[in-house]
Amino acid sequence: MGKLVDYAEAHRILSKYGINSARSAYIESASDAIKFSAGEPIVMKVISQQALHKSKNGLVKLRLYTAKDISSAFSELRDSARKLKLDKYKILVQEMVAEGVEIIVGGSVDPQFGKMILLGLGGIYVEIFRDVALRVCPIGEYDAESMIHQLRSSNVIAPDKKADAKVKSILLKVSKMLAENEILELDLNPIILTRAGYAAVDLRIIK
Amino acid sequence: MGEYADLKHIMNPRSVAIIGASQNPEKVGHVILQNYFDVGYSGKLFPVNNSYEGRILGLPVYKSVLDIKSGVDLAVIAIPAEHVAEVLTECGKAHVKGVVIVSSGFSEVGETERQEKITEISKKYGMPVIGPNCLGVMDMRSRIDTMYLPTFKLDKPKIGSVSFASQSGAVGSLILDVISHEGFGLSKFISYGNAAVVDETDILNYLAYDKDTKIIVFYIEGAKRGKEFIDVAKKATKIKPVIIIKGGKTSAGASAAHSHTAALAGSAEAYDAVFKQFGFVEAEDMDELIAYAKIFDTQPLTTGNRIGMITNGGGMGVLATDAIYKNGLVMAELSEESKKVLKGSMPPIVNIRLPLDIGGDADDKRFAAALDTVSSDPNVDALIVITLFQTPGADSRVASMLIHRSMESKKPIVVISPGGSYTQVHKDMMESSGVPVYDSEDLAAKSLKALIDYSKYKNRMI
Repeated sequence: MGKLVDYAEAHRILSKYGINSARSAYIESASDAIKFSAGEPIVMKVISQQALHKSKNGLVKLRLYTAKDISSAFSELRDSARKLKLDKYKILVQEMVAEGVEIIVGGSVDPQFGKMILLGLGGIYVEIFRDVALRVCPIGEYDAESMIHQLRSSNVIAPDKKADAKVKSILLKVSKMLAENEILELDLNPIILTRAGYAAVDLRIIK
Repeated sequence: MGEYADLKHIMNPRSVAIIGASQNPEKVGHVILQNYFDVGYSGKLFPVNNSYEGRILGLPVYKSVLDIKSGVDLAVIAIPAEHVAEVLTECGKAHVKGVVIVSSGFSEVGETERQEKITEISKKYGMPVIGPNCLGVMDMRSRIDTMYLPTFKLDKPKIGSVSFASQSGAVGSLILDVISHEGFGLSKFISYGNAAVVDETDILNYLAYDKDTKIIVFYIEGAKRGKEFIDVAKKATKIKPVIIIKGGKTSAGASAAHSHTAALAGSAEAYDAVFKQFGFVEAEDMDELIAYAKIFDTQPLTTGNRIGMITNGGGMGVLATDAIYKNGLVMAELSEESKKVLKGSMPPIVNIRLPLDIGGDADDKRFAAALDTVSSDPNVDALIVITLFQTPGADSRVASMLIHRSMESKKPIVVISPGGSYTQVHKDMMESSGVPVYDSEDLAAKSLKALIDYSKYKNRMI
């Protein structure tokens, strides 16, 4: 059975492969969070081995601007964590990434074929729509391209050449990361594709 | 080829020992021996039975394979499971070059230890073993047939270039029966059962390099050595089309998953991914499997998806147009040159655009004129000809014309001809001469799509 890699460590692994993830930090207090925000909108979440599905359990707070919002979010998250009886958890703050199409890029290990990479329309409905494409790692340019075009949502995810190239490059980097590391399960869900670029805003690496 | 089992002595043996050969016509061992006579095998046959003396079907019976002094290439074992290991060891000692174990009573009923013993003995003597719990093999050219199905119960296909491998014996025999009524012929048939030794990877590798096999058709329930299977598949699908159908695809995903990805990437999805990624032609059901074998066996490859469609029935043209778009193909635009030629050659009632409806009164000459112009149009990559034999103009001359044009054509041509007994006669005529004919517009479109997708994969450099 695998173990969830610490968020900061996951962040470090991704950046080693040039995969962008939202700027983030662990905090001890509401004032730490206010300092991190510096007036910009932030997201605050509870990170714990015991609670893997954060948004379902009310462990995520979005779009926090003001010091007042940040402080109350901080105490609400602690209450939720207490209610769920989490004995070990940390609170993470993260820059709020601009709106955009959400995709999931993931990895798993198939007992027959080994390391697999997945692409799909992301967000919380991913398991409902199951609009995903899967390949054996490592993948090449052609595979990445065909993964995108296999999706029913390919026009949403890659409406133009630029977006297509962006998603392809993410896939190739993740494939390399999966190939070079012993990762049992990976969820980058969602990765938000913004006008300027993209950022993985939730990282789950199980080693 | 080295690391994978070589099946040449099993598929093309100079001598065969049938262990468990029986005098009793109801026994498997009798049917197998009888079948060798029925198919006209020309090598040496040795019935082996340790509790019977005399002759079976006129051949002297040996007590053990060790008593056969002139050497045995292939041994077929059809005796109760508990005695198989002992007999297999004798085969090893007698330097038998390959074995087929048709007996059941191994891992399929939980007797895994008994099966491991088989694997062990095979390794010890370096002797490839197919089975246990299988139908065995059939080779239309070497006339080898280890199957215990009475010949009169099962139609046998003609000699051809499609080879078929199946984990399941039932699916295998059903396919044999069904394809014997199709236009294409069979090269080799391998039913490998529990795969104690020779598995799908060995078979795929063997058939990929077999010169009598142009197309491989595979029914699998699982690949035992996933990574090796991929290694072999990468090469095999570049050499020839491999049509695959996977049984047991509805299994639930991994239940202990912690992530969305692991929950979404179950075993069925992983197989799908492998098939897509490594150039397999995946069939969803038996109808697709036959439909694909038909087109790959006879038609040239093409990477273009622009279809030129000719029909002698307007409504069928509309349905078939829907079918091609539904399957990711497009209707071609006729060139100005073609339009000019068709205006001259077609009667005024014919609207000069695709699908080209040449009218219910079209005869072979009008069909030929339309086909010649459309097939030589540079905007057309592949052709669909809808021939409704219910119309007054369509008769054997149309079928005969299509056969000739199809032989010469460098572009794929498929025919759609739904209908009753009159149609069936012409369908048989065309199919046995290498024209793929479909009852349904959907299967015709899917088959072209499969052909185009495979062609693209094969042409790919990376």
